[in-house]
Amino acid sequence: MRAVILWRKQQLFPLACRCRSRTFVSDSTSKLQIFDRQRKRAQRDRAAWFTPAHDPLLHSVSQNLLDRLQDCKKTFPTALCLGGSLQPIISSLSIPPVNGGVEKLIVMDASYDMVQACRNTCRASSDNAVQTEFLVADEEFLPIKESSVDLVVSCLGLHWTNDLPGAMIQSRLALKPDGLFLAAILGGETLKELRIACTLAQMEREGGISPRVSPLAQVRDAGNLLTRAGFTLPGVDVDEYIVKYESALELIEHLRAMGETNALSQMNNILKRDTALATAAIYDSMFSSEDGTVPATFQVIYMTGWREHSSQQKAKRRGSATISFKDIQKQFGSQS
Amino acid sequence: MVRGSKEVLQKAAKTLSDILVCPLSKQPLRYCEESNSLISDAIGVAFPIKDGVPCLVPRDGKILEEEDVSKPENVANLSAVSEENQGRSA
Repeated sequence: MRAVILWRKQQLFPLACRCRSRTFVSDSTSKLQIFDRQRKRAQRDRAAWFTPAHDPLLHSVSQNLLDRLQDCKKTFPTALCLGGSLQPIISSLSIPPVNGGVEKLIVMDASYDMVQACRNTCRASSDNAVQTEFLVADEEFLPIKESSVDLVVSCLGLHWTNDLPGAMIQSRLALKPDGLFLAAILGGETLKELRIACTLAQMEREGGISPRVSPLAQVRDAGNLLTRAGFTLPGVDVDEYIVKYESALELIEHLRAMGETNALSQMNNILKRDTALATAAIYDSMFSSEDGTVPATFQVIYMTGWREHSSQQKAKRRGSATISFKDIQKQFGSQS
Repeated sequence: MVRGSKEVLQKAAKTLSDILVCPLSKQPLRYCEESNSLISDAIGVAFPIKDGVPCLVPRDGKILEEEDVSKPENVANLSAVSEENQGRSA
């Protein structure tokens, strides 16, 4: 299931809606405003009340992300957790032996209700081995002092930022030298079934399409993003999760509970009942499997990067080698 | 309850204060007990602390009156406004 960065797949789906929103420039500033951050905040406020205590998708993504900490010999006394799926991250970072040595955890989200919900569950749990602080802030305007945290974790939150490279640069600056940046974002293959169903239904009922599923980063972009943000030793890998739902409507309910519904600043606010039902019907008829469930793909891109430090391994200067590869081949060739 | 939350708030403000900076200018913040907010002197904006949780989203900030900053509609475009002003004066 997992593929390395070299893995590439042709984009099969209509790019029209994506391109339209990408080229959108807001009236007042020249900055690209793809997402309505205020709307996203409101959606996350709502999600704070609807998120179930144990969401299997969020749980497995965060487990997978934090697995990377166990591969590091380094410990991370101060950690910053950016918005996204907070609860599973907090609960796994609060268990001392396997949390990468986190002693102080700063939890940040743009939604006050989300932060409050996390705080309540955190207070309810009896063990307080990890000192946890809460903060309401926007990833695009990170209020963290330079070189002050050892670890930045962002689980399924950064794909909603308008300025993803900017947000990543700010995270890098917040890190101490040799600090680790871990992020999981949704990739372009996510909800491809829904993308198709929405497009078809809108074409059929309304004679045109408007963006219903947000533009997402492609796998090939992720590596570039890490390099552009200035992280060293970048690593990217991809996982695809296929979640089965009883019906397409249940998928929408789940998206709403995760706070992952549409927040494009240019979106059409009106969704006709007719079109919505047509979308569900097309989804069911095109993608339903034999057992009557409908699948939805979630492509998660995991990104790892470090802030530069002199102790990190580096490639040697070109032409500095003293031994020819031919000699090495001879050496090993004669041994075998 | 009020006293409890105040203690929590002060504790949070103390432990976080060495890490937090103003989200827009990245300059240090000052804790104001009177208004229970974090103040960024560099841009003259106060960020509220709600129930011990500092709210540092630019939109939540309030522009302080005594500063001679012209009052824009929201704080999010504050940086853009100040850039404009600089552009005009230059």
